[in-house]
Amino acid sequence: MTTTLAAGRRRGRPALRNIAVGWSFLLPNFAGFAILTLIPVVLLFYYAFTEWNVFGGSTWSGLANFRQMWDDTSFWTALRNTFYYTAFHIPLTLTVSLGLALLLNRKLRGVAFFRTVAFFPYITSIVAIAQIWNMLFSPSYGPVNQLLRAIGVANPPGWTTSADWSMPAVIVVGTWREMGYYMLLFLAGLQTIPAQLHEAAKVDGANAWQRFRAVTLPGLRPTTFFITVMLTIGSFKVFDLILVMTDGGPGQSTLVLSQYIYQKGFEENQFGYASALSIVLFAICFLVTIVQFLVNKSRDS
Amino acid sequence: MKRSTAAATALLLALAGCSGGDSGDDSGPVTLTLAGWSLATTPEFQTLADGFRAVNPDVTIELKEYDATNYDTQMIADLAAGKAPDIYVQKNLKNFYTYQNGKQLLDVSDVAGKLGSGVGGLSAYQVDGKTYAIPYRQDSWVLYYNKALFSEAGVAAPDGSWTWDDYATAAEDLTGKLKASGSKALGAYQHVWQSTAQGFALAQTAGADLTSGDFGYLKPYYERSLDLQNAGAQVKFGDATTNSLTYQAQFGKQQAAMMVMGTWYMATLRSQQEKGDADKFEWGIAPAPQLTEATTGKSATPVTFADPTGLGINPKIAEGEVEAAKQFLAYAAGADGAKALAGIGITPADSAAVTETFFQLSGVPTDELSKFTFATHDTKPENPVSKYTAPLQNILNDMHSAVLSGSKPVDAAIAEAQDRAKNEVLSK
Repeated sequence: MTTTLAAGRRRGRPALRNIAVGWSFLLPNFAGFAILTLIPVVLLFYYAFTEWNVFGGSTWSGLANFRQMWDDTSFWTALRNTFYYTAFHIPLTLTVSLGLALLLNRKLRGVAFFRTVAFFPYITSIVAIAQIWNMLFSPSYGPVNQLLRAIGVANPPGWTTSADWSMPAVIVVGTWREMGYYMLLFLAGLQTIPAQLHEAAKVDGANAWQRFRAVTLPGLRPTTFFITVMLTIGSFKVFDLILVMTDGGPGQSTLVLSQYIYQKGFEENQFGYASALSIVLFAICFLVTIVQFLVNKSRDS
Repeated sequence: MKRSTAAATALLLALAGCSGGDSGDDSGPVTLTLAGWSLATTPEFQTLADGFRAVNPDVTIELKEYDATNYDTQMIADLAAGKAPDIYVQKNLKNFYTYQNGKQLLDVSDVAGKLGSGVGGLSAYQVDGKTYAIPYRQDSWVLYYNKALFSEAGVAAPDGSWTWDDYATAAEDLTGKLKASGSKALGAYQHVWQSTAQGFALAQTAGADLTSGDFGYLKPYYERSLDLQNAGAQVKFGDATTNSLTYQAQFGKQQAAMMVMGTWYMATLRSQQEKGDADKFEWGIAPAPQLTEATTGKSATPVTFADPTGLGINPKIAEGEVEAAKQFLAYAAGADGAKALAGIGITPADSAAVTETFFQLSGVPTDELSKFTFATHDTKPENPVSKYTAPLQNILNDMHSAVLSGSKPVDAAIAEAQDRAKNEVLSK
């Protein structure tokens, strides 16, 4: 009652009331975000310049953490591996999920079933995925190598137990896991392309490849851009899959940045150094995304 | 105005009452909290709590459960947040430095001073002449062997005189003869942990020092493992990791005739055989194989390794409860605690004193060699306490997987680990 009366008196400023209502809806969500994400992230930037073993206070150490990083061969290994994973994971996932989407975008008997099948890996527990793929890749008894031997490969790779093949193995599993999700996004994108455009192109005598180049790809531009950004950030942050599948091994052959951060922070209690490493990872994600936005913008105009 | 004064007085009184209750005194009942992990399958904490209650009815001990694999991570978080229990366990020595240097352990030198000399592992918790935790159990790595498979193959069982070369010969011999008799079992199983190679190498090699950054002492141990893998006498490291093999199944289901493992496995194997989770067969323990003959034979003391498990006191404990907590530590490490632990198959810190109690348990081998092994050992720490231990062990763990998976030759891997140790750890 009082609210309506008060509102009636302040009829001149409905905008303010709208803002207040809007804020009150946002507040619970924002409070959670601020406490659990924003404040820790801001603090992270402080801890990166300190030495802190989690007990008691941290001591200011200036740029020492970043100087240490410069000479830290493991950091460079982790960085190199992260780029290795990203460089192959992004184009592979993009191609496979687009291919799947094109295949499953037709009026096919049982198409819903196949879409579900492709999406399934994405909702399966990552630990189960890692266990099963590890068994499949098992060097002596795994089905993958048995198949390779059957078709005449004399010395099949050791996959997750070989320093040269562990990263490809992880990339294959990462792609297989995520292709379903991005396929779904591509499917949604494909359905926004007007059918008339395809028909018009057909009338003009364009073959399937030409239609794909001239109609489908341009029509998918916004979707592709979104997917590329998501994939990039996801690839740089890859953590759980590698932790449960190879734990960074053998040796350091699959050690990636986020796992190195975890190791330094939670296993060796160097929280200052781990924070500094996190900032580097953040900066990389940030820079790459900015570049992608700029490229997209210049293509738009 | 009057009302608020009254309220303030009441508040002050309440606060005074609270702090009065907190400080307590020796005569009143005290409740202590104790950290433990996997309480359903790890009865030792409840056993100690009940045993202590029986002698000190005024003190109640409440258990607080932690996750076994993430114990240290969770404990460090709780200590930092001020929510950790009054007494907490040092699961191994890898993180002892973190706790001690972080001032998260109370000085318990007075408890240590009153303990008997038979308590193993105490010196590991001493820094600058002060003791910061009291060991209550001290496992040791030994050689488990399957008597049935040895007699099936017709190979002479371990007799306490083995060096690692004897072990390797026996493993290959067993593998060949078991295969000939139609058994699928291999001669040996080496679990995937870095300690199965590095723990022995560090303990048994004269002059080996983890913090020296010189890891040449690891070489013979890795070469022997690789030889055994290539000869087919033990499962390859890569097959064990990719198929997540468990050591309990490998030995308990008779997939391997021999296995080096810590004495904690005796309690597990015994109960798994009773419940049917493991095959029923006769087994025994023998001293871990030695690097040289100097420490073999029953007249010598075999050298092996394992970290003690200790109890420390959280400095945030209420002042009036410190005395009770120290009494609990003394009980757990003393003769009564040792007897209670031996009764459930646990190896207490004072293992020689309870050999008889331990071997009265059903399902435990009773031969002379097993008893000798249980009571006689020079057990060195797996993680010698230092600022550098945790990061160095992580580097050596990378090296372990690189070598045993065949990704890197031994020499190159050792050289790389030494470089990393120098640049990333020891230079700081």
